[in-house]
This record gives sequence, structure tokens and C-alpha cells, in this order.
Amino acid sequence: MNNLSKLSPFNSLNLRQKTIVIITLTTLLLVLIFISSLNIDTSTITTDFALRQRPPSLEHLFGTDWLGRDMFIRTVKGLGLSIMIGAIASILSSLIAMVMAFFSSLNKYADSFMSWLIDLFASMPHLLLLILISICLGKGAIGVIIGVAFTHWLSLARVLRVEIKEINTSEYVNLARKFGKNNFWVAKEHILPLVITQIIVGTLLIFPHAIMHEASITFLGFGLSPHEPAIGVILSESMKYLAMGSWWLALFPGLALLIVVLLFDVIGEQVEKLLDPTKAQK
Amino acid sequence: MDKKYIIGIIIAILAIIAISAFSMGGNSAEKADTELIVAIDEEPEGGFDPLTGWASARSKEPLIQSRVFKFDGNDTLINDLGTGYTVSDDLKTVDVTLRDGVKFTDDTPLTAEDVAFTYNSAKEMGTTDLSTMEEATAVDDTHVKFTLNQPDSTFIHKLAKIGIVPSDSYNNETYGSNPVGSGPYKLVQWDKGQQAIFEVNENYYGEKPYYTKITNLFLEPDAAYAAAQKGELDIVELPLTYANETIDGMNKITIPSIDVRGISFPVIPNNGEINEDGSGIGNNVTCDPAIREAINVGINRQKLIDGSYNGYGDVSYYITQSGTPIAPKENLTDGDVEQAKQVLADAGWTDTDGDGIVEKDGQKATFELDYISGDTTRQSLALQVVEQAKEFGIEIEPVGQTWDELEKSTKNCNAWWEGGGDIDPYFIHGRYSSDVAGIAWNNAAYYNNSAVEELMTKAMAQDLNSSYSTWAEAVSLAQKDNPYVWVGSLDYLFFVSESVDMSPDTHYIYGHGGDEWGNIADWKHVDTNSTE
Repeated sequence: MNNLSKLSPFNSLNLRQKTIVIITLTTLLLVLIFISSLNIDTSTITTDFALRQRPPSLEHLFGTDWLGRDMFIRTVKGLGLSIMIGAIASILSSLIAMVMAFFSSLNKYADSFMSWLIDLFASMPHLLLLILISICLGKGAIGVIIGVAFTHWLSLARVLRVEIKEINTSEYVNLARKFGKNNFWVAKEHILPLVITQIIVGTLLIFPHAIMHEASITFLGFGLSPHEPAIGVILSESMKYLAMGSWWLALFPGLALLIVVLLFDVIGEQVEKLLDPTKAQK
Repeated sequence: MDKKYIIGIIIAILAIIAISAFSMGGNSAEKADTELIVAIDEEPEGGFDPLTGWASARSKEPLIQSRVFKFDGNDTLINDLGTGYTVSDDLKTVDVTLRDGVKFTDDTPLTAEDVAFTYNSAKEMGTTDLSTMEEATAVDDTHVKFTLNQPDSTFIHKLAKIGIVPSDSYNNETYGSNPVGSGPYKLVQWDKGQQAIFEVNENYYGEKPYYTKITNLFLEPDAAYAAAQKGELDIVELPLTYANETIDGMNKITIPSIDVRGISFPVIPNNGEINEDGSGIGNNVTCDPAIREAINVGINRQKLIDGSYNGYGDVSYYITQSGTPIAPKENLTDGDVEQAKQVLADAGWTDTDGDGIVEKDGQKATFELDYISGDTTRQSLALQVVEQAKEFGIEIEPVGQTWDELEKSTKNCNAWWEGGGDIDPYFIHGRYSSDVAGIAWNNAAYYNNSAVEELMTKAMAQDLNSSYSTWAEAVSLAQKDNPYVWVGSLDYLFFVSESVDMSPDTHYIYGHGGDEWGNIADWKHVDTNSTE
């Protein structure tokens, strides 16, 4: 076994190289899914009543649904939408988290206001808030994106707030202030370089959360019309046809969602290893 | 994030899907031959109150209450509470004599006063269109007089729509859950969101039905189908999406209807106005008659019915289905893509930028088509029309809406899938009269044509039998402007246990929404030796 593993090219790499290889491969796969979904024109997903509810075959890898639409194409299109919504929402929420955290470092009133705001948001059930926001903003992907963005900044904001508090009490920051540097300068020169790792990893780790919540909210029927190919919509539609025996309608899209979410999780962990030296050798 | 957490969520979602698919339905304890467990009727939002809409939006058997008149299997008006009627020569008063000695389930007598009260309150509440009725008055105990504010020969149909409620004890807040009526059944239990249990009414004056107890479960179609497969239901009504399925021990019954589906097209341009319901008014693309005509001649109706109804339906070019006396005789042609293109080209719609979609004066031929999210037949009709219209250069964007969203935002400014059909010709007035444009679901297209209006007024002032051809003329004339493009009527699909005879032939023709309970007195138990 040992001999064999030594022969494997993967094992000849050191840990850092391995990490980079894993990140590259997973990112490539996700980019591939995203790009191919962009190339699918929704109007080409046509109905064909001669091909209703066909089980998976070589021609239709994931089978077809009750309108004879190809489920593989719909699933890829749906995953693309999930990735896009996940990307926009997680970048937005880490921007919010950043602004919130730096705001809290201004003075102690700002800080207590911030922790009050975080507690307020944390006290409301995630999904409920998400549904409320997306209904307020009307239908469509925009509502879902903003909804996800405004509910996922909490954990990152909490981490950043504590980090920044710690940095703020350090001697070199005090020194800088005594030299007359303003808050903005301190934030830019001293704090940001130290928390940038947290921000990048935090953003990546919001990704799977955001995708899951996008899927949940569209599953519940908020945001998108039932003919649009989003993973949640596909899954909720598949429920109606499970009793008729169309198991493939739920299984493949569900598995595909699981895989995409896990891939993002892997990327997040590996990037953390890469950037955070204390975790690099674990 | 913890990987286990994510996997957990996804497994949970998949598990919920699986569990909900396989674990629905009630209990399957032994039950008597005279008991039925069914999933037929939807839960009435306002309870079992005819004044808030229970069975009264259509000419439908209300079970708990009884009506003045009803229809039989030959679609003729027969007596129920009423024993006869006379209409004055000017068609402005209707005198009805009532059966004597009828008792409500609380043992109080049903008199003319209750009938008058029901109709006067119904007019006030507005759930049933009684706009031509001035008032109803009780002359004596068995004699009601309906005074109309204009000649209306169709009014007699209204007497088969509303179940009679007791004037003494009626309370609009409690009646819906504790209804008192004089119908063949009484409500003994209503578990909101789950089921309603009806037991036979001992006070009922008519032929007592065979089944003494009916439990109606309120189930979503997928749950109802699963329960039927497990043998837990005697009768289940399902959307036509299920028409190709088979269930062991159950017969598939399809009942034709005059319930027609079609697209409503706002015929006036949009100038940013909003009406009382909150919907925008008018659409800048569908207001061009050429767009509507192109769709009318360009779509292939038979293909739509084969696809969306699984073939269980009949093509109709008018809101009045060809089987009814109010349907125009002349049939049109459709499925002609070349002619649709010609119609568009003649009106100045041409494809100038080569994207396959025609334009005119900088306006692209593209508009939104709304369908009800929960309605699979409307959804698949919408998607098919989108594909068919693209062939002749019209781009339609389908959008799923709830009834609420549709009513409060887009019913008068977007095209949407509507439906209707009734044996009462007055419903034509609701579609084409400008008097009711934009009010509730009436005339969503904002259609206004004085010639059509004149014909409808003329028809109402004619004797009912001779008015049918005038109504048909009005329908035919209105269709020349295509404010709605009708596609066809759909069948109603039931799976019925082999031990139940639902006698589908004695049914009054199904209007919009159907009339499942209409021939309840004819339902019988059949011995199935093979299964015992």
C-alpha cells in the first residue's frame, strides 16, 4: 500500500501543492458548470409531449419531466443560476459584514449598536427573514439575491468585529493613533491586511450556505416562476411526480446540488489551509 | 461550514420529498358500504356558506343547502325547492312558488322569507352576479317575487346557483363552519385543512341518497393520487396531468365539460393607469388587433389539447363550447403559421433586426403571459403557446402567479390564462360588456364594442329560448376582435373505486369548476365479488 501510494503522482506533491491542485480542479469543475449553463438558452428547453416522463437514458441522461423537457439541461441551467446567486449573494454579504465590522470599530456606541443589530438579525429565523425580504423586493432572482445577502453577513461580521477589536487594542495601533493617524488610515493600513484572510475564507464559506438557501426558498415557491429552471423549483416540482414513479426527477437534481455545495465547501477549506499558516499542516 | 451540516440539510430535503410522497392519506379502517371516503371538493375559503361562494360561483350542487331550481342530466331546469315559476311579459318580474313543509336541519321551516333573504344578502355581498336583480320579496310563505331592474330572460338560471340559508339564524361569521341548510346532507365535522364529513339529512324532502356518510379529504393532487393508489379513497378527482395513469381497483372516468380555457388580451394601450383592484390597465403590444388575430389563427389548438390535457378535451374557438345552444355555428381554422405571419406583416409588424421577433415602430412584439402557478394544465398550455407563437415571430414570456397576485397587479395589463363556461348565457355579458370591465374577474381585456353590447341587451330582452341565437351572434361578433383567444374545453378526470357507481351519464353538464355532487342521489354501491 505504501509503495503504491508513493508511485501515485499525487503523493509526490507536498501538502501545499496538493492543496493548490484540489482548489484548481474543483474551481475548474464549478466554472465549467457555470459556463455551460450560460450557454444554454432557456428558450431551447422546449416541451415535447412525445417524450413525457422518460427514465434516464443515454439520450436524456437525467430523464425527462412531465412536459418532455430534458432534465439534464434543466439541472445544469438551475445549478448555473444557483452558482450565480450564490456568488453575488456571498460577495454582497461579506461586503456588508466588512462595512458593519469596520463601523463597529469607530467608537463604543457604534460597537454596541452593531452588536445589537447582529443580535436582532440572529434572533429571527433565517428562512423567515429571507422569505420576508424576497417578497418585499418583488418576484424574481433579484429578490432572492438580496434576501440571501442580507441574511448571511452575521457570522462573518461577528468574527471580524472580534478580530478588529483585538487589533485595535494592540500597541502599534495605539502608537499610530498617537502619531495622529485617523481611523480610516488605521483601518486601511493596519486592520485590513490582517483580516483579509478571514474575509476571503468567510466569503467562500458563505457560498454553500447561500446556495442551500436559494434552493430552499425556490423550493418553497418564492421568487421564481414554476417553469423556470432553478434547483429548488425542479425539486419541488419533482415531488408531484414521485408518486407516479418518476424517481429520476428528484434524485439527479438533488445529487447535483449536493455535489456543487460540497465542492464549494472543499474550496473554502483548502483556501483556508493555503492562507492560514496555523491550519496549513493539519 | 460543517460539511455534515450541509449533507444533513440535503438529505433532509430528499427525505421530506420521499416521505411526503409515500406517507399520505387517512386511515383505512373498515367502513360500511354506505360510507364514502373521497377527495373531490376543494376546501371552501369562506366555509360552507353560499353567500361567500360555497358552490354558488357556479351552478353547482351545494350538498348542505338546497336551491330553488336545479338542472338534470338533460340540462333542463327542474324543480328543487321551487314548484314552478312565471315570468312577466316584460321579463322584469319572476314569480316563484315554493314547496310547502320544507325544514332546515335545525327543524325550523324554510319559507319564502328565507329565499328572499338569501337573494337580497347575496346581492349585497356580491359573490354571485345579481346586478340585474332589484330585490326579492316574500309575498306569502310559499311565494317569492323577484323584481329586476331591466328585462333579463337569463335570470331564471340564477335561481339554480345559490343555496338557501335560514334568515332567522344566519350569521355571516359563524355560518360558514356551522351551516344550517335543507340539502341532502348536513355537515357534521369540518377539520380545517384536512377534511369535511357529511351525513345524510333526515329532514331532506327529496330522494334520499344511497350513501349516508361522505368524508371529503382536502388533499393536494399528488397526495390524493398516492392515497388512491393505497386504496384509501373511493373517488378522487385529479388534474388531467394524471389522465394517463391507472390505479388498481379503480376505474378512470372522464366527464366532458363546457369549461373553456383561453388567453385574455388587454385590448387597450397602457398609459400607466391602475384600477381599483390594483391592477395596471392595458398593454401596448396586445392592444394591436393584428397581434391577437395572428395568435388566434397561428396556434394549433388540437396540439395544445393533446399535450396539456392528454387529449381529454375539445377544441373551441369561442368561450361558449360547441355543444351548448349559445355557441356560434361557424367554426374557424387555426394552426396556420403562414397566415399568422401574413396578418402581422399586413399590419406593419416586420422583423427588422433579424432576431426572429417582429417589430413595429420600435416596439418589439413581446409580452408577458401569466398563468396560475399551482395549475399544471394552465402552466403547460402557457409553455406550449410560447413555443407556437415564436414560430410566427411573437415572443411571449410566461410568468407564474398566484390568483392573488394576478388579481391585485396584472389581470388587466398582462395576457393571462383564464377560464370560464356556464349554461347561463349571462356569463357572456361578464366577458364582453364594458360596464363590468376590470371589476373582479369580469372583462379583464377591457373590451368595448357597442354592437356587441346592443346584441347582449337585445338577447336579455328576448324570451330565453329565442335569445340563444342572439347570444351566439354576440359571441361570434366579439370574437372578430379577439379580446380573448379561446383554446378548448377540458374534461374532468375521476378515478372511481370499482365498488362505486358514480353514474356519470346522469350528470348536468359541467360548467367552470365542475359539478361533482350534482347527481349524488344516483350514486350506488356495486358488489365486487372478485376482490372479496
